Amino acid sequence: MESDDDYYEDDIDPDDYDDGHNFDNEDVEVDEGYLGESSVDARISSYNPDLGDDDPYPYECLSADKVVGLMNEIIREVNDIVNIPSTTLRILLAHFNWDKELLLEKYYEYEGNQERIFAEAHVISPLKSKSLARRKSGRSIEQACEICCNNYSSSFMTGLDCGHSFCKGCWSQYLCTKIIDEGMSQTISCPEFECDIIVDDAVVMNLITDQKVCRKYQHLITNSFVMCNPLLKWCPAPDCHHVIKVEYRDKRPVKCECGREFCFDCGESWHDPVLCMHLRKWLKKCDDDSETSHWISANTKECPKCQVTIEKDGGCNHMVCRNQACKHEFCWVCLGPWDPHGASWYNCNRYNAEEAKKARDLQESSREMLQRYLFYCNRYMNHLQSLKFEHKLYARIKRKMEEMQQLNMSWIEVQFLKRAVDVLCQCRQTLMYTYVFAFFLKRNNQSIIFEGNQADVEKATELLSEYLERDVTTASLGEIKQKVQDKYRYCDSRRNVLLRHVHEGYDKDWWEYIETS
Amino acid sequence: MSSIATTRIQRELKDIKESNNQSIKIELKSDEFNNLRGEIVGPSGTPYQDGMYKLSIKIPETYPFNPPIVSFDTRIWHPNISSVTGAICLDILKDQWAAALTLRTVLLSLQALLSAAEPDDPQDAVVAKQYKDNQKAFVKTARFWAQYYANAPGPRDTDCVEKLRKASEMGFYKDISLQALSTHSWDLENAIQYLTSC
Ligand SMILES: [Zn+2]
Ligand SMILES: [Zn+2]
Ligand SMILES: [Zn+2]
Ligand SMILES: [Zn+2]
Ligand SMILES: [Zn+2]
Ligand SMILES: [Zn+2]
Repeated sequence: MESDDDYYEDDIDPDDYDDGHNFDNEDVEVDEGYLGESSVDARISSYNPDLGDDDPYPYECLSADKVVGLMNEIIREVNDIVNIPSTTLRILLAHFNWDKELLLEKYYEYEGNQERIFAEAHVISPLKSKSLARRKSGRSIEQACEICCNNYSSSFMTGLDCGHSFCKGCWSQYLCTKIIDEGMSQTISCPEFECDIIVDDAVVMNLITDQKVCRKYQHLITNSFVMCNPLLKWCPAPDCHHVIKVEYRDKRPVKCECGREFCFDCGESWHDPVLCMHLRKWLKKCDDDSETSHWISANTKECPKCQVTIEKDGGCNHMVCRNQACKHEFCWVCLGPWDPHGASWYNCNRYNAEEAKKARDLQESSREMLQRYLFYCNRYMNHLQSLKFEHKLYARIKRKMEEMQQLNMSWIEVQFLKRAVDVLCQCRQTLMYTYVFAFFLKRNNQSIIFEGNQADVEKATELLSEYLERDVTTASLGEIKQKVQDKYRYCDSRRNVLLRHVHEGYDKDWWEYIETS
Repeated sequence: MSSIATTRIQRELKDIKESNNQSIKIELKSDEFNNLRGEIVGPSGTPYQDGMYKLSIKIPETYPFNPPIVSFDTRIWHPNISSVTGAICLDILKDQWAAALTLRTVLLSLQALLSAAEPDDPQDAVVAKQYKDNQKAFVKTARFWAQYYANAPGPRDTDCVEKLRKASEMGFYKDISLQALSTHSWDLENAIQYLTSC
């Protein structure tokens, strides 16, 4: 198989090893020590050579601690200009959605009447709170806590600058309820009826002893800071507490230190070539239709010949019935026989409009819409499912690589296998989103070219997948290496052709979209 | 139940007893502190005057950091209280609750609510509409309900008694007939039509 595009040199830079998928997928761990380095070192940028995209997109990956540092930096900056205690400032900034310019603007606009800014943010003005000194007299008389109705010595009673005081036990339970049950952080007010003075972070940290609650509180504060800031976004990977910071907002891929690559604009996995808007519509549709399409995502299907249930546990679509008496070979996606899939005339990727027309004559058009949707959904789900198995493939290939190294191949020499799996996963990801793109696409001359490109990648990807899953043995290593490299290079180049064509279409307004309900 | 909640409730019950306010009452339903029964007397100068309104009060685990769940057991015709379920729309039972508030303040607030309805924040849309569009029918209905359900003293409106009797004679349950007549501002024909259609 030859590519009509330039190969690029991919033999093998050891530094390359970690920039793709993490090999030991089971233990992706983030090394805190690394994050401690200066932010300049942590600065990375995405540059996608595939797309001839030559303006790099600069961004940083920040740990939660760094985000806290960023917050404190802003507080310090404002504090240098206006002298307000940092606890109060934090509440003021939160009130202005962390827009320090807006805060300063208002602060000077209200010059002479700055009480107003504090009142609006529900804090007692630090300018006058001294006169209102907290009720902490030397008298050691007992005071009744209005919440628990017990009497305590005044040293056990505490409160905010509004002067309402409660016992420390009640305070801490009150704060726990607000933080843990209601997820509140910088909007918790004094427990007194009709008192809206906000509890500052120093008071919270003083009164809460439970570390779990403290962490939750800090996380909530950090979270509201990130949510307010259009240049920050949480990594969407579950349990990943990293934040990506960009210099300007764009629909571009960013990659977290945990390995998750996502679209900065919409936060979904990086979804080239489909637009954020279409992806959002699509995901919503999948959600709404989850009942109809549920069967599609199921991991089992019946052999079209003998009806034995077959479970899919790898990414390859070339299925061989496990019933020894049948051994029927078929395509997981279309359930058609596998044979023609290798032939050039066979299209498993394109929804056949001729067929659809026939169907339309027989059935309602809404039914056709559903079928159309199911058609694309089926192909989308198929790649999604295969991607979920990618760690299995990585593990298997890793074992293969170890075997090969025992047969006197060097570490560097066997890296082609990992590279092949990387390309396979990239292709599946791209294909998956091209079906979303195609779902919204109106048929025209360019869309036919697109479908041709898509079919090419689809076919090449399945060939590569199949080869990796069953044909890689340790026999005749040199030959295998050549074959694998040929296959993945072809896949990669066809993928680039496919993507470039869609991007060109965006630039030149080729694409027309169907109306969807 | 948390210890704060228990001590709070014990203390509150004691305070209410000592306050000697005859118009509000709270007592335990059983030995459990999470299930109380309240009672308020309808305030004078209102259609609810001298009615006895029973309330069900459920104390959440997290009391007093979260509000008690209060509803009317006695049926009442009021824009902010569901005439069907007894659910109450009152800000201090929702987002305006504060840990420093007590059941006593809740009951007093409910009395205040009976004195001054807030038809723009209704719980019962039918009642609220009547309250705004037809004050006369509203007062008549609320008073009749107070007498019928809450044992408010005084002679009952003969028109109401008569129409309710007619509807019941046609075989409809009294509660349902009363609801239908009230909803249709005592237009017997409309009420019967409504009753037969459902
Ligand atoms: Zn207390
Ligand atoms: Zn206060
Ligand atoms: Zn991450
Ligand atoms: Zn996006
Ligand atoms: Zn079979
Ligand atoms: Zn197929």
